[in-house]
Amino acid sequence: MASVITLPFTLPSAPSGWTKPSASKPSAPTQLTLYPAGPSFIGAARRQILQRSFEEDDKNIIKAREEAEASNVDKGDGSLYPGLGEEEEPHHVLSQDPKEWKKQDHYAVLGLGHLRYKAHDEHIRIAHRRKVLRHHPDKKAAQHGANDDSFFKCIQKAHETLTHSDKRKQFDSVDWNIEDEVPDLKSLSPEEFVSTCNKIFSREGRFSRVQPVPEFGSLDAPKKEVEGFYDFFYNFDSWRSFEWHDKEVNEGSDNRDDKRFTEKKNKSERTRRKKEDNTRLRTLVDQVLALDPRIKRIKAEEKAARDAKKKGSVANGAPKALTPAQKKAAEEQKKKEEAEKKEADKKANEASKGDREAAKKAKEAARKNLKKWKKSIATIISSSNYFQPEGQSPSAAVVEKQLAELDILVDILEPEEVKDLKEKIEKAGNGAPAKAALVESVKAAGAKGEGKFTEFA
Amino acid sequence: MADLWDRSILGINFGQSYASIAVIDKEGHPTCIANEEGERQIACAISYVGEQVYIGNGALPHLVKNGNNTIMGFRNLLGHTYDEVDHTTILTAPLLADSSVPAYTVDILVPPPATKSASNPRSAAASGTATPNPAASEPIPSTKTITVPEVTSLFLSTLLTSATDFLGTKPSACVISAPTWFTPAQHDALRKAAEEAGISVLQVLDEAAAVLVGYRAGNAGEEERRDKRVVVLDMGETSLAISVVQVSEGEYTVLNKGRDDKLGGREFDDLLLKHFSKEFTKKTKIALDLPCGPDASPADKRADAKLLLAVEHTKRSLSASSGAATCAVESLKDGYDLSTSINRMRFDGLASNVYRQVGNKLIEFVQAAGLDLAEIDEVLLAGASTLFPGLQQHLSLLVSPTTPVTSTIDPSEVIAVGCALQALHLSTLKDGLKVTDVLSSIKDKVDVTSSPIGLVIPGQDEISAVIVDSGAPLPVRRRVAIPVKKGNVALELWEGKHEVKVEKVERAPIEKSDDDDEDEDDEEEEDEETKTPITKKTKVLGGVQVDIKGDGQLILEVIVQRNGGLQVKAWEQGHEDNKDEFEV
Repeated sequence: MASVITLPFTLPSAPSGWTKPSASKPSAPTQLTLYPAGPSFIGAARRQILQRSFEEDDKNIIKAREEAEASNVDKGDGSLYPGLGEEEEPHHVLSQDPKEWKKQDHYAVLGLGHLRYKAHDEHIRIAHRRKVLRHHPDKKAAQHGANDDSFFKCIQKAHETLTHSDKRKQFDSVDWNIEDEVPDLKSLSPEEFVSTCNKIFSREGRFSRVQPVPEFGSLDAPKKEVEGFYDFFYNFDSWRSFEWHDKEVNEGSDNRDDKRFTEKKNKSERTRRKKEDNTRLRTLVDQVLALDPRIKRIKAEEKAARDAKKKGSVANGAPKALTPAQKKAAEEQKKKEEAEKKEADKKANEASKGDREAAKKAKEAARKNLKKWKKSIATIISSSNYFQPEGQSPSAAVVEKQLAELDILVDILEPEEVKDLKEKIEKAGNGAPAKAALVESVKAAGAKGEGKFTEFA
Repeated sequence: MADLWDRSILGINFGQSYASIAVIDKEGHPTCIANEEGERQIACAISYVGEQVYIGNGALPHLVKNGNNTIMGFRNLLGHTYDEVDHTTILTAPLLADSSVPAYTVDILVPPPATKSASNPRSAAASGTATPNPAASEPIPSTKTITVPEVTSLFLSTLLTSATDFLGTKPSACVISAPTWFTPAQHDALRKAAEEAGISVLQVLDEAAAVLVGYRAGNAGEEERRDKRVVVLDMGETSLAISVVQVSEGEYTVLNKGRDDKLGGREFDDLLLKHFSKEFTKKTKIALDLPCGPDASPADKRADAKLLLAVEHTKRSLSASSGAATCAVESLKDGYDLSTSINRMRFDGLASNVYRQVGNKLIEFVQAAGLDLAEIDEVLLAGASTLFPGLQQHLSLLVSPTTPVTSTIDPSEVIAVGCALQALHLSTLKDGLKVTDVLSSIKDKVDVTSSPIGLVIPGQDEISAVIVDSGAPLPVRRRVAIPVKKGNVALELWEGKHEVKVEKVERAPIEKSDDDDEDEDDEEEEDEETKTPITKKTKVLGGVQVDIKGDGQLILEVIVQRNGGLQVKAWEQGHEDNKDEFEV
């Protein structure tokens, strides 16, 4: 930067008749050795290397300085994080008992309730500072003569807990102010499912030793992302621990056995809880995996791809390479079709559910009737002595053939026709008229039964 | 600022006799640190005593009885071949005749091998203290040859260890000082030795430049003059180096430099030795003539070394306090102790001759630069020997009364501090610059303005203010603000010439006013002269005229381009449009 030096005299006004002397070049420069040292040398070297003029360099310096000022971390308690830790505490926070620190919500005490595990050290430091400034016992005593430092103790405890990384982890592990309920995932639409899962897993991800944690992702996430997500959560390495729930070891007690017993119990309790937590997460992931619409989609896509490949290899020898745009278009088309189909299916399903049920019942009944009708036809045939001449007993082969042909005929005909046939035969009565009726119906069956009938032809 | 902390920076002042190290502390200030022994001035000495190696101040006492195995004064031999070195002046471990690299040979003891071997015949010749005939189980004497670069590396690595212990991490950036008269080959040798020691050297910096950076000349603040001529006077233990430097807004161009390798703190040692030995002889009636020559008796030599060590402390207390400084040596000679003291006035009397020699050298080098002493704006002191108040007083009487003799930063530490600052500057380069690019951007010599450019108020004969001084590296830009009244103002720019106006002042010789006095080499005249530097105008360069709308300031900007072209612009402050400019 160009520093400006003020000269110690005042410039008088120009004498009358003064004219500008003509400009001339200063004497040629001489040469001297320069020490490559000091900030000014570096500045000169910078101007030379970067080919900057004085003005450009000034601009750059001013810019750099402004940037530095902007990024300069507020050392005091000035403008950084305005409002943090300066809100009025609700009554239930203020009236806490410092002895009950295990039940205290440390984040709420420091006014970080909205940040919780996301609050970083700088937040905590500044919030604590501002809280202390407002709630220091000395200040309180000056204000209303009260000697109540219980909230100050709460603040100190909260600060102690949250600035100690182990203690903070223990508290974060069991932070009861973060809801960890999982809604009924089955009843959700795919969109709701995705948004819910995103919420759930970003919450669960905070316990991961490995950061960053992959997101659940959107409905149309590619296969790789989806698989990556499930891989991560199936191999989840959690730092969550449950020391917070430990029972206090009675420090005053001299009984070593007593202490050991409590410690042992605490340890087993911790392991149990940890195990439980791991199982909980695993079940959750299992459940989500089973219901994930994206998995179904991916499977369908893979199948379609396989089929297409097969077809393509038969038809063209080799599958045509699609341009990305084409591929995308095709995919979109497919997706659209799928969605439409799904929609249509859904609608149809909903509409005809009652009808279908009725139809099903009718079908069942019809099948039962069909058997009945067939049986009665068969009875008539047998009572007509299998249309054999009087006195001649039918051969076994003939009986079998006729019954088989009857089966075929019943199969070919619609149930209604079978019913008609039965009625006709019953009306015609035993013997030749029955056979005539049978032959007639075989003829009516026409092409379907061609060549299959010899007895009733 | 956070990146300052993760960066550990080291500056090393590597002198011929003493070294010092400085680091950048947590607040970003450079500080000279003490090594493990609590010493800020670390003696450049290495002593081999049997199986032990003493490095630093611990090696000094071994000069007394183990001089042959103690290595000192190795820095100046760096980058030289054996033939180039004046090997007759080396008083410590003998130099080996080897044409490529000078090397020392020392007697050491090596741990005994399994088999018994004959004692080395050299050990007897080495020194009286060497074990004459070792038993089989004892270490056997041997000799070791160690070259100057090896010695340097060994010594620098101990400095690095001290700094690492202090910082907690290994320094990532280091600048190391070299004397002003080092040749490029010597620079390279020093850099190589330092890198051998595991130091990442950003730059080997001239000592004078380190002093300038250490005092932040030209960058200190608003009040400081931007363009000035300074003399860097560096008086170490063994030599005196004087550089005349033009400071132009923090850029340093060398007008002249030189050294006297006979004039140093050793002179003061010799004076004190002489003084104390005389006193000793007077008290004990034992003949002792110190400092002794090479053919003196062993007893005298030993007394010399003993007294030398004791005198070191006397010197330090003489510079530190105004009271009497003691000197005590047990069994200086023939079992008699020396215990005496000397006060500052007595010492200044003894040393006045040395002071005068230093003053003469200063005048000599300033005049060789084509300048008069009156034209020097500041004297910067460096080196532990300039700590003597007597010397500082003598110098301030020599230069003009307005010229400060600066020792605001401890002169014994300023070089190390300057090196650390330079390392800091180099390691915090912005805009993606690389250290090598920055350092290679200059050639050996650069174009500088040949004569000053000044402002002349129309109608006046003299240059009212120098805007751009001579010796400023091109391109150069200066801005001045001139208070103005409403109306039409004009100014001319002239090239000028520095001159010294001498005015004889007739004064009664009785008046003993040292303040105004400018004594030249000789103190012949009774008449006193006052010398004031002035700038005569020689050649007009152009003029500007601005119609000022209201009382305020006129800003004048003068830029001399790299090609020597001139660019002048003047405008009313706050009204950028109301301007006048010309360009040549």
